[in-house]
Amino acid sequence: MKNVILGLLRNKKALTGLLILAIIVIAAVAAPLLTGFDPARRVGLPHQPPSADHWLGTTRIGQDVFARLIYGARTSLAVGFGAGFIITAVGTIMGIAAGYKGGKIDEAISFLTNMVLVVPNLPLLLVLASFIGQASPVVIAVILGGTSWAWGARVTRAETLSIKQKDFVKAAEMLGEPGWRIMAAEIFPNLVSIVGINFIGSVVFAVITEATLEFLGLGDPQTVSWGVMLYSAQNASALQVGAWWDILTPCFALVFLGTGLSLLNFAIDEVANPRLRTGNSLARWVGRVRAGEGRL
Amino acid sequence: MVFLLRRLCFYLAAFIAAATINFFLPRLLPGDPIQIMFSSAGSTLSPENLKALKLTFGFVDAPLWQQYLTYLGSIFTGDLGMSIKYFPLSVTSVLGRALVWTAGLMGTATLISFTLGTTLGIIAAWRRGSKFDVIFSVSAIVATSVPAMVTSLVALYFFGFTLGWFPTGYAADPALDPAFSFEYISSVIYHAVLPIITLSIVLTGGFVVTMRNNMINLLGEDYITMGRAKGLSDGTVMFWYAARNALLPTVSGLAIAIGTVLGGSLVTEVVFNYPGLGNTLYHAILARDYPVIQGQLLIMTLAMLTANFIVDVSYVLLDPRLRRA
Repeated sequence: MKNVILGLLRNKKALTGLLILAIIVIAAVAAPLLTGFDPARRVGLPHQPPSADHWLGTTRIGQDVFARLIYGARTSLAVGFGAGFIITAVGTIMGIAAGYKGGKIDEAISFLTNMVLVVPNLPLLLVLASFIGQASPVVIAVILGGTSWAWGARVTRAETLSIKQKDFVKAAEMLGEPGWRIMAAEIFPNLVSIVGINFIGSVVFAVITEATLEFLGLGDPQTVSWGVMLYSAQNASALQVGAWWDILTPCFALVFLGTGLSLLNFAIDEVANPRLRTGNSLARWVGRVRAGEGRL
Repeated sequence: MVFLLRRLCFYLAAFIAAATINFFLPRLLPGDPIQIMFSSAGSTLSPENLKALKLTFGFVDAPLWQQYLTYLGSIFTGDLGMSIKYFPLSVTSVLGRALVWTAGLMGTATLISFTLGTTLGIIAAWRRGSKFDVIFSVSAIVATSVPAMVTSLVALYFFGFTLGWFPTGYAADPALDPAFSFEYISSVIYHAVLPIITLSIVLTGGFVVTMRNNMINLLGEDYITMGRAKGLSDGTVMFWYAARNALLPTVSGLAIAIGTVLGGSLVTEVVFNYPGLGNTLYHAILARDYPVIQGQLLIMTLAMLTANFIVDVSYVLLDPRLRRA
């Protein structure tokens, strides 16, 4: 694990990714210091282009776009990392349990995993979200966590199966260590890079999907978030009236965050698998991000 | 054969699972499920039609398990109910009409991105560490992390609104009547260009990454070294020795892409106001047209399962080891 971290600090892609992430986190945390405007209130004339007062212009109902951008980062980060954590935690626990325990437990978990994998994720999310109606970011994060863990479980299980055969696991078994301890202390540390890639991939997936659900009008329109910004801009026909700042700002923000996270993920893959022996995990994640979007 | 039969049973179970979600979801929510599902139906549907619709979704005066069986019964007879928004059309015909547009859009985009992405992936892996590799594999990864709506909106803004090169909505010029004429068909193609380019950009990245990693895993194999030692040209080793084998896992990627085709273009269709499945679903969501929303989940699940089954069959055909097992 130490090697992974040291390697990352020497990797240019990882540093760029971390820098981008840091900028977004700092902007989100320090939002009240960076702008005096309330992101939810009407603070100016409608659809004003960028100016000294409103750095990124105003929306159709006169909200400050810059304020919405940096306050919205809080929502995207919270949902992304929250849902990413749930997805990774469930996937990792399921995967290790299935791979290590084997037998009936493995069969049950694998059946469930495959089942969740073949029911297309996005339509399922749309059905869930449309019944819940105006889902808040917390609800979106929980739904995402509950429906998107299957890829992680499958990748983790495969890796656990190969680690299980290693001598140090056999040694721990002979010493009579309990099963949970072997899984948590012997197997899990060897999965760090997979779990890391899984986590960051899930964060990207959650950020994209939350923004998509909100863009499609399934979120709570009162929320300040990038997805809702896109939704209101689209509803206000921002492109048709030439208010590019209204719609391109959240677009840029999503690209910026996505770029940072994916550079970081690429770097972890490079550092952890110098010969890309198990490097397919990243490819699988990419597939998953796309599949999760239902190839949106 | 046993392998394929087992897969078929599994797919049946998965389809029933999707139907079960559809059945229980409205009933699990607080409140009256009939009220939730059909509150917007009063204005368009007559009482008799509403009654038929309720029957389709299993809302009968009977214990829950009988309601469930009623619902499964209607699904397996192909009855997905009536659309509330597009009454008197049935859900199947609403979705069927839209499916044609989506299939054309996504079929073309998948073909373009598969060819382009796979070729780029092969070359990137072959010249691993070169400038070409760094530029394309990093941008491929970044491209997969960009939401489709961003790509679509940016493309629409620059090429549709600012430069005015392409139309900004619809599948064909609304002034033309659908006909098998040169004028109409060229209008359809002209309207499809921008959505297809956008979708191809969105899809290509994934193929590049998958193919590159598959190739790199194979390039260390002995038979590659052997091919080189024989003095074969780089091109022959690259395409006929390595790429041919690296393509196998990508086939499954392609099938998943086709399986999710239907959802695939959702956001792009909404942005370009293209009359495919995605746009239909979007308008169904706005109108809370639950029969259409639920029907969409079933049809997409079915498409996904079919695509998966085709992959299973093609694996059996392509990989002799599976035939013996």
